Amino acid sequence: MLNILVVDDLALNRRLLTVMLEQQGYRVYTAENGLVALNLLEEHTIDIVLLDVIMPVMDGFETAAIIKERFSQVYLPIIFITSLEDEASFERCLAVGGDDFLHKPFQEVILNAKIKAHSRIRNLSQKAREQNLQLEYHQNQVEREHEIVEHIFNNALENQQSFPKHLDFHLSPAAMFNGDMFLVAQSPLGSLYCMLGDFTGHGLAAAVGALPASRVFYTMVSKGMSVSDIAAEINSVLGKLLPGHMFCAATIIELSSTGKSISAWLGGLPDTYIINQSGEVIRTLESQHMALGILEEDEFERALIHIEVEDTCRIVMATDGIIETTSPHDEYFGEHRFKKVLASKPAISTEQVLERVNKFARGSKQQDDLSLVLLNCLPMREPEQKSEPLSALPFNFSLSLNSKQIKSTDPVLEVVDVISKVAGLNAHRANIFLILSEAYNNALDHGVLGLDSEIKNQEDGFLIYYQQREEALANLTDALIIIDIRYCPEELALYFTVCDSGNGFSKEQANQQSLAREHGRGLCLLGEVASKVTFNSAGNQVEIYYQLTASSTSSH
Amino acid sequence: MSLTRSTSADGAILTVQIKGKFDFNLVQSFRQAYADLNDNIDKVVIDLRETDYMDSSALGMLLNMKKNLTGKVETIQISNCQPQLKKILQISRFDKKFDID
Repeated sequence: MLNILVVDDLALNRRLLTVMLEQQGYRVYTAENGLVALNLLEEHTIDIVLLDVIMPVMDGFETAAIIKERFSQVYLPIIFITSLEDEASFERCLAVGGDDFLHKPFQEVILNAKIKAHSRIRNLSQKAREQNLQLEYHQNQVEREHEIVEHIFNNALENQQSFPKHLDFHLSPAAMFNGDMFLVAQSPLGSLYCMLGDFTGHGLAAAVGALPASRVFYTMVSKGMSVSDIAAEINSVLGKLLPGHMFCAATIIELSSTGKSISAWLGGLPDTYIINQSGEVIRTLESQHMALGILEEDEFERALIHIEVEDTCRIVMATDGIIETTSPHDEYFGEHRFKKVLASKPAISTEQVLERVNKFARGSKQQDDLSLVLLNCLPMREPEQKSEPLSALPFNFSLSLNSKQIKSTDPVLEVVDVISKVAGLNAHRANIFLILSEAYNNALDHGVLGLDSEIKNQEDGFLIYYQQREEALANLTDALIIIDIRYCPEELALYFTVCDSGNGFSKEQANQQSLAREHGRGLCLLGEVASKVTFNSAGNQVEIYYQLTASSTSSH
Repeated sequence: MSLTRSTSADGAILTVQIKGKFDFNLVQSFRQAYADLNDNIDKVVIDLRETDYMDSSALGMLLNMKKNLTGKVETIQISNCQPQLKKILQISRFDKKFDID
């Protein structure tokens, strides 16, 4: 029901209008002056105001101006009902915000027509207002979501800035929403991995794939896995996750820790260039594979490109933004211009390249997804090794293996896994493995099984030796190997004792072994890795003393 | 423990990657990895990035490979060694016989 406010200082006029309007089915409020009217407007939702001009306390002009100011969100029609006829008064009515006039005396039918017309406009205005509110709500929602996504990605994109000597890259601030992604990380071995990706589409949808892709990338790099494994895994994750029409063109590169070689997986991005000191392209790496997220796991192509590089080389990676930038004459920037810019000055920066691209594009619509990466092929700094402090507890470990267990297990790795659980020993696990493997296999092969290493000197001796070993192992009965490991926190040392039920061997045999020979290297190696290796006189028990100093984990 | 072999996109480099431990359990598959090499291949890379452990039998297998491939390929490279394994290779003077990256 329409609510109409009648404002007139004459009770008779108010009464007259009220009767008239109530007959039409409207709800009517009345006020004898502007001030009362304003109060009523605050208390009730009024749809139309019928306003007299000349009133005490507050006249129609003043009232109209205030109403229009206070109720500006939705159209609130003010129809002046007046006996004034001069043009100046009309003008003033309009100037203060009046929407219509009605001259006294007026015909009822005209009043009704005007009320209907203005209420229709008010309806439209109300709808527009509601839609605007909705729109505003959604806009705020989108903005908030963008902020959240940006926040997540800023946190997800770790260490982009950690390699300033090696990397100069440009991604527009909104790159994520254009589907461009640049990931960088260093492996435990020191090599540097970069991934430049370009997801199909724009906006949140494009950015969504970046999150799982980056997780896979960082996790696998932290384990030092190969570029082809990383590409295959991201392909499989994106394939499972993204809708069919979405995928990610990408280049993944690993620069070795020496900076002397690169391995690259190239799927769907524009050519990657290797440029020399003066910026000339000395090698073009063309895309080899389909973008990530398309092929099934078993169809996926893992082949990499391996290239030796000099320390003056730079690798140039870009998404299609640069070459597809258009000039005001609808001309593409293109590969030719891109190469020319790269060679225009030695050690050009991404900023300088983009300046040239933007200059070319001047006047035409700006591209905002100009992603460009320049990677300098320099040696990497060795990654910091976090070493866990050694445990203060004196652990002992003892294991007796009977012939059944000797036959059916390969216990060395399992023992290493157990020992490595002692705080601080994990850093030494490769050496612990070597020591145990040499001692155990020596005990088994030569002690228990009585094999002769000389076989290894024959053609294909290795294979024959291990075949004999298998046979001997299958026939083994009544044998025993005891492994004893003692961790001494005071001495920072590990003591290994491996003892077998075999006949032992002479010390002369042990002394004959030399690193220069193709076999028998084991005990010599043992002597180098451990601080002390002692056999008992019977030759069936070896004691090994291994010093747990930090230097054992260093590569120098 | 596993062994995978892959050829580079241009077919010139064979990469043998060993995961986990590199010991006598791999003697057959390692031997097979470089048997019947394609003529295009001029470089063999033993990628130890995911090799956590090795012992003297691995060294023996590497030397066997070198003997077998000398004259067939230009370079044999042992790459991406973890520090402790690199040290084992250095102790064994393998840096004189192989290109260790």
